[in-house]
Amino acid sequence: MKRNLRLKVLALILAAGATSAAQAYDGDWKRGRIYFRHVCTACHSAEVKKAIPPNERTKAEWAAYLQADKHNKGKDSVTKYFSKQYRDSIKSKNAAAAKFADVPENELLQDVKVFVNKGAKDGDAPAGCS
Amino acid sequence: MARIYIFKRFERFWHWAQAALIIFMLLTGFEIHGSYALLGWEKAADLHTTAAWTLIGLWLFAIFWHFTTGEWRQYIPTSKNIVAVMNYYSVGIFTGAPHPFRVSQLSKHNPLQRLAYLLVKLFINPLIWVSGLAYLYYNELAASKIAALSGISLGTIALAHTAAAFMMLAFLIGHLYLSTTGHTPLAHIKAMITGWEDVDADKPAAVPAK
Amino acid sequence: MRTGIFVVALLASMLLAPAVNAASEPVPAKLLKSTSDHTKFKALQQEFNSGPEVTKACLSCHTEAAKQLHQTEHWKWEYKNPQGQLLGKKTLINNFCISPASNEGACNSCHIGYGWKDDTFDFTSEVNVDCIVCHDTTGNYRKPAGLAGNVIAKTMEFPPGSGKIVKGINLKKIAQSVAKTSRDTCGACHFYGGGGDGVKHGDMDSSLAAPEKEVDVHMDALGLNFTCATCHMTKGHQVPGSRYAPTAQDKGAAHLRGKEYKTIPTTCQACHGQAPHKKIAKLNDHTDKVACQTCHIPAFARGGVPTKMSWDWSTAGKMGPDGKPLTIKDAKGHPIYMAIKGDFVLGEDVVPDYRWFNGTVTYTLRSDKVDKNNEPVQINRYEGSASDGKSLIWPVKIMRGKQPFDPVNKTLVVPHTAGNDDTAYWTNFNWDKAIAKGMATIGEPYSGKFDFISTESTWPITHMVAPAKNALRCRDCHASGGRLEKVPDIYIPGRGSDHARWLDTAGWAIAVLTLLGVLGHGLGRVILSKRNH
Ligand code: HEC
Ligand code: HEM
Repeated sequence: MKRNLRLKVLALILAAGATSAAQAYDGDWKRGRIYFRHVCTACHSAEVKKAIPPNERTKAEWAAYLQADKHNKGKDSVTKYFSKQYRDSIKSKNAAAAKFADVPENELLQDVKVFVNKGAKDGDAPAGCS
Repeated sequence: MARIYIFKRFERFWHWAQAALIIFMLLTGFEIHGSYALLGWEKAADLHTTAAWTLIGLWLFAIFWHFTTGEWRQYIPTSKNIVAVMNYYSVGIFTGAPHPFRVSQLSKHNPLQRLAYLLVKLFINPLIWVSGLAYLYYNELAASKIAALSGISLGTIALAHTAAAFMMLAFLIGHLYLSTTGHTPLAHIKAMITGWEDVDADKPAAVPAK
Repeated sequence: MRTGIFVVALLASMLLAPAVNAASEPVPAKLLKSTSDHTKFKALQQEFNSGPEVTKACLSCHTEAAKQLHQTEHWKWEYKNPQGQLLGKKTLINNFCISPASNEGACNSCHIGYGWKDDTFDFTSEVNVDCIVCHDTTGNYRKPAGLAGNVIAKTMEFPPGSGKIVKGINLKKIAQSVAKTSRDTCGACHFYGGGGDGVKHGDMDSSLAAPEKEVDVHMDALGLNFTCATCHMTKGHQVPGSRYAPTAQDKGAAHLRGKEYKTIPTTCQACHGQAPHKKIAKLNDHTDKVACQTCHIPAFARGGVPTKMSWDWSTAGKMGPDGKPLTIKDAKGHPIYMAIKGDFVLGEDVVPDYRWFNGTVTYTLRSDKVDKNNEPVQINRYEGSASDGKSLIWPVKIMRGKQPFDPVNKTLVVPHTAGNDDTAYWTNFNWDKAIAKGMATIGEPYSGKFDFISTESTWPITHMVAPAKNALRCRDCHASGGRLEKVPDIYIPGRGSDHARWLDTAGWAIAVLTLLGVLGHGLGRVILSKRNH
């Protein structure tokens, strides 16, 4: 029980730390725009032959999509494409992955979140492909 | 048949290097001109310029050589027997008449050759050289304070250069052909490679060597 | 229960692993680029109900800003060129949307002010200067067409009676996040000139907001990441590099920090100097005749956004089978016919035209006479020649148009196009009323007759500089039928039309005759030597 409590406290402290860290970073929509276009859209245009522009979905749809973290009809996760590992694997061919190779994963994720939220169908500045 | 040594080592080197350069420059030059596409314009222009500097270097050596060895005298024109030589090429050569001219170390070229080569050296070469350098340094010319220089248009420079190139082309064709008119078709060419020319020792030359 | 907590803790610690690691070696605080944080300013910690309220707050610290802006073309929309012509958006006519005059409500949403709806606008007002439109960083600032440059601060129905609800923008948040100008802020107007994305210039469109290196080496979002102001370097809010009187040839040196320069900072030379080609020095020999842009901008509209190459107003006004204004789109979904505007021809990856240009541009003004014997009317003329010593060969976009004019008074006319009233062409499709209203508004005579006349306007191509590997190659111009085929009065090696025809004919003739001569001679020798033996 004692041990249990200790763990509980630890978890709480850690969780609190996590949320405050996440809150401290607002997200940079311009960096999100670049990452989205150069990494996400670049692959979609090449592999799916069709971009998936932010203004194709509503803010709520984007939020839910990123929350669920299921990508490519559930075959993999969206966060995979923000990971350092993924960036490392494509950085020799992808200028954005190279430039942002050392940016923390959660920051990039936040950047793209802010960008798609803003560029969503009902966002503040709906954004197509260019 | 006897053999005499008439083309010295430098002379032979100079001749073949110049021949190669001139042919190469004709090829690249007329590509620059737009007559055909062979190497690609950029490459043609680049190589033409490199070849030009090489040729200029070669000429500087050759001029030095001609004057220090006195070989320049080979090109002093003479009218003596020029008619006989012309007769030979227009009639005698077909009837198997002997060449009215005998080469020797002191006189390597027949009077017609002397005239032709002199024309090349005193007219075509300088024209190509001067117009080519003007072409190369056109920007500097145009920026020059001397009105006579800055007033020359690139069109004029190119015109002179192209005209000289055409003359060189015509000369080259004639020259190539005449090199086959020795006692055998390859005799002259061999001579320019080895330096040794076959001469008829028994028959005295119709034109005594000067 | 126990395992549950354990898992949570484990998960949390895994999630936080990087953060915990980071905490053990102190993370340097992110270095702010600015010395001030606008969220901390009292003046900005308030709800704003209008643009001018924000400006007032800005001016409480930046006391001289509005006065500086009052002196700019951005504010005045007026510019006197060296020839003494009064230019500027306020009075000029072009062959896109023709003229903002009488259409201020819509067009002046791209004015850096609030409320220029007609000629009663107060150009001395400081609070009517719009600071935010250039200094926004949120990308959420909007000046909707129809509000004469004003913004919508509270959610409302707009246009009134349309049933469309436009969300108010959060001016407080926007005001608190201001910073230097960006490609996005300049682009908010300049990318959309001519009434839409990429329409007018061809070398400026929304693809430059975050462009790839191939589209623009300097603005490359992942590379040099230049903003517009990196080149259009302002002093006291004055922006250098206007196209009304461009610098066609800059013979100055590259600008060094700390050194005082008379030449403007917007030219290529201002950074690259006079002999920028290191690998192929011969290229430096071209700079006395050829603008950098000519080779380094191989095509415009390269970012995927088409530009308008021609616009025919004379076909406007067609209704579709449903009786509604007709719109026809091309395969990519871009309109090529609109009832309100007429027919368009769009272009992407367009090879520019090339002109001798010395920096002097002469305009056809509202008062100038035009007639159908001199079509196409030159909306603006790029002056220059091979011999004036000031011209270079420049790439330009030629915009072709057909627009209304008054065949009796022989002037181009200003139609009233945008507006919610009975005379606006875009509402009622009646040229007569639209032109009469437009001309009355600007106080110029209108005979009551109109016709359409062909026009051409010329635009400098100077943005979208490609990486060096995509610059033109020698052959692109050193050839017959090359890019510069039509540029007169200069000898271009390799361009057939520059050759003296007689020389080529004579030269090849002599070569061929010589060849035939020696061949004949040789043949003779062969035949006769056989016979002799
Ligand atoms: C390596 C290629 C690749 C990358 C990188 C990539 N995606 Fe995808 N994405 C796909 C494929 C393949 C699909 C499936 C499309 C289909 O079949 O319709 C897809 C589909 C999607 C969809 C449609 C819904 C779904 O999941 O099927 C969304 C949204 C999406 N991706 C978002 C993103 C975002 C955001 C990023 C960048 C962080 C990203 N993608 C990066 C390949 C990629
Ligand atoms: C001193 C030697 C020479 C120099 C310095 C020289 C230089 C040049 C230069 C600078 C050009 C222009 C290329 C460019 O723009 O990059 C040129 C063109 C040309 N050269 Fe030469 N050249 C020389 C010799 C020759 C020779 C020996 C020939 C042929 C026999 C030749 C034939 C041509 C031709 C036909 C052109 C194209 C001219 C035109 O269309 O404008 N050149 N040369």
